[in-house]
Amino acid sequence: MTSLPIVGFVALSAGLLAIGLFGVLTRRNLILILISVEIAMNAAILNFVYFAGFLGGAPALRGQSIAVVLVGFAATEVAVGLAIVLALHRVRGTINVAETSELRE
Amino acid sequence: MSLEELAFLALAAVALGTAAAALLVRELVHTILWIALFFVDLSAIYFLLDAPFLGVLQLGVYAGAVTVLLLFGIMVTRKRIFSRDAATGIGAVPLALAVVTFIFLVASVGELPQAPTPVASIAPQYLSEALFGTFGPWLLLLGLVMLVAVSGAIYLVREGRE
Repeated sequence: MTSLPIVGFVALSAGLLAIGLFGVLTRRNLILILISVEIAMNAAILNFVYFAGFLGGAPALRGQSIAVVLVGFAATEVAVGLAIVLALHRVRGTINVAETSELRE
Repeated sequence: MSLEELAFLALAAVALGTAAAALLVRELVHTILWIALFFVDLSAIYFLLDAPFLGVLQLGVYAGAVTVLLLFGIMVTRKRIFSRDAATGIGAVPLALAVVTFIFLVASVGELPQAPTPVASIAPQYLSEALFGTFGPWLLLLGLVMLVAVSGAIYLVREGRE
């Protein structure tokens, strides 16, 4: 049976969320922002999987089921996000969020 | 330190490194390569956690579909695929915010066992029973959300707007 430290996993997913947050705040390209959101989303999914593994039994099945559903939601999110990127590119000719600020004014 | 712990440390280091590299390189295609490696690495972590179904799902959905979708997005939004992005600085405030978030999250989980904890192995057949039994409504909801999302995506990119 595999034995792994919980603390390491908590640090890993917290680190991934921090990297994702940093990317969302600093990057200007919409695709890079989408990738940052995906990194943060993967940190959340990883959370469900490792706590499921450490708890075992019925909670493990529940945790992994939620993780499977979350992977589906994340894939949907990428599809819609890219549709927005393409629509923005067609209308504005750029996907740089610093140059597209009509809604702000 | 056991072999599994060493494997986990290596995989965790690769995960953090590739995620950071994906956001810091200036060539967008290199970003996609780093993020593909990140997804494959996470899949290896799922296999290490004895969650084979999620490992395969991660490989198929993320390393496969999402990576290609992102590459497609880059292909159609730039004239030359290999062109550098405008330089964006690190930014002191976002970096500080990220570090504070990390410290807050690690500090707020409370007392956790420091020693290695056994990981329960879950065979895919039991997972499928739970997925299509207890979580059946969730899967239906996921299907509905995907249908609406695809319809919305087609509406957004359809020809002849404006």
